[in-house]
Amino acid sequence: MPKQDSSKTKDNKLTSRRDFLRSAGNYTVASLSGAAMLLSDPKPAKANVTWEEHFQKNYRLMTDEEKQQAIERLETRYTEEYGKPVTVDGSPSMEGVLFGYALNIQKCIGCRRCVKACVAENNQSRGDEQQIEWIRVLRMEKGKFSEADRDQHGYPESFGVQVGGNAYKPAGVVLEGQHYYEPDQVPEKDAFYFPMQCMQCEKPPCVKVCPVRTTYRDPDGIVVIDYNWCIGCRMCIGACPYWARRFNWGEPNLPKEEMNPVTHYLGNRPRMKGVVEKCSFCVQRTRKGRWTACVEVCPVGARKFGNLLDPNSEIRKVLAKKKVFRLRADLNTYPKFFYYMD
Amino acid sequence: MTCYRFPQTLFGLCLLLFLITTPLHGTENQTDQECFESRDGMSQVKVEEISPGLVNVKCSSTTGGVLWWGDPFAGTIPMGDMDIEADYSTEEAVVKPREPELDKNKMLTICSMACHDGNYVPIPHSKSPRRLKMHLDTVPDALNLKHGKGNIWCLDCHHLVERTKLIDNFGYSISFNQPQKLCGKCHGQVYRSWRDGLHGKRIGMWDKGGKKRWWVCTECHNPHDVEQEERNSGFAQLRPEPAPNLPKGMDNANHERMHHGPHSGGNAHE
Repeated sequence: MPKQDSSKTKDNKLTSRRDFLRSAGNYTVASLSGAAMLLSDPKPAKANVTWEEHFQKNYRLMTDEEKQQAIERLETRYTEEYGKPVTVDGSPSMEGVLFGYALNIQKCIGCRRCVKACVAENNQSRGDEQQIEWIRVLRMEKGKFSEADRDQHGYPESFGVQVGGNAYKPAGVVLEGQHYYEPDQVPEKDAFYFPMQCMQCEKPPCVKVCPVRTTYRDPDGIVVIDYNWCIGCRMCIGACPYWARRFNWGEPNLPKEEMNPVTHYLGNRPRMKGVVEKCSFCVQRTRKGRWTACVEVCPVGARKFGNLLDPNSEIRKVLAKKKVFRLRADLNTYPKFFYYMD
Repeated sequence: MTCYRFPQTLFGLCLLLFLITTPLHGTENQTDQECFESRDGMSQVKVEEISPGLVNVKCSSTTGGVLWWGDPFAGTIPMGDMDIEADYSTEEAVVKPREPELDKNKMLTICSMACHDGNYVPIPHSKSPRRLKMHLDTVPDALNLKHGKGNIWCLDCHHLVERTKLIDNFGYSISFNQPQKLCGKCHGQVYRSWRDGLHGKRIGMWDKGGKKRWWVCTECHNPHDVEQEERNSGFAQLRPEPAPNLPKGMDNANHERMHHGPHSGGNAHE
């Protein structure tokens, strides 16, 4: 993976609202004319985020005209920064569509191709310094519950009766999920695999806690983030029961040649230091009718995606015909991400 | 060594050798690189620039598997007629033709034309599986057919006199590009599930009426070895993509392999 040379411009770059306001404040104190000072700053133009961008409204509250302006600003800046024509899409949610996702945990082989496809599509930070992946795949040990377990260890000593393992000796699955498994070949004999990503909840805890309402749920079911309005408080990360959200602790490393130039304002456009990101069901693709990158790449066809409101869609067929569950349904988050078995 | 001694004469040859022996997947997204879509070695695709700045596929630098399709319909042909109505009847349905992949050295064409035309080599009358007497080196998995638990053999699937075709229950030929018609003869349940879009995969447009590339049976399954010994699974094992980076300051992931509880004594797994 080639190291990118963005570090050269890193120090001069103003990329988060917080940084901007902080330095703007300093300038104001120094010169009592922050704006004029900033505009005459001898920084390279390409590294600068414009005045308008810093003081734009929350995307959710913008008029169509303001949205268009915001998009054009970004397109100009990204095109210059990445040296190729970058498009920023602003498609609103589709009428009559509620996106749903289903994943066959019986089929999943744990090859992590979805993880890497997601990175290729969604412009995450990569490399040793800061690696962000929206999908995690957990390796789970297949449960073993023998008669010996039942008789010898199934009953805790002096702690009451519980068949099938207990808190002290779980007789079924005995390992926590593993993130860092690296066998030569998958699937392994004694394991199954459990991919997790944003569940696009109907009642998203992350949306509840966001103090600036920069993350919100669109009518087609996608929980989106306006990165420009994110203050980096990370409340949403703490609130998410599915470990779906990631934080840009540092300046993201996105090599120019690997950057995907087809972006969406609320999806895979390049992020900046200090903002939260997560799976957006590839909003830049799905609102144009295309399948998500992870659905397309899955070599075993374990991932299904479609419109929950269309009774003939494959996602509805999965819900009708297969054994389906949702992760942590007890939390009443109503995920739109379903797991199933044949 | 010789390279250094005779630079003028052998330089070109050594350069060629170097190029050949350099690993294919060394760098990402290099054009002319070859990677595989689903079955390593049997679903190869070349990385090409389809428009300025856009490649047809992006490949994994570690496993050589395709990770991303710039154009999901590159190199596809129409699926062709299907007997029963499904999504593919009302939408634009395409498939990646299997014939160029399976017949890339023109072996099938030659077999069919040269000998197995029904006259020069007579059509065998017995359909009971038996060990081949010839061609053990040219027929894939000739001694190791793992399909049908020993009850089927070559000509249950391959056409009697047209080696470039498959055969249906009535003796009509089926194209290698439409193996689903053949496999559905026995695997009806899976076939129906595939038709519904549940089994296997499709790429392209998710919406109703959108164009889709359907993946056919032999793109993912090896028909000569679907049982795979004791694994008894239709899908061959793959090399996984690399694990995420360990958190800073963590040397290994041993903590993940601990069994918990008093009876285990905190033993590491494996």
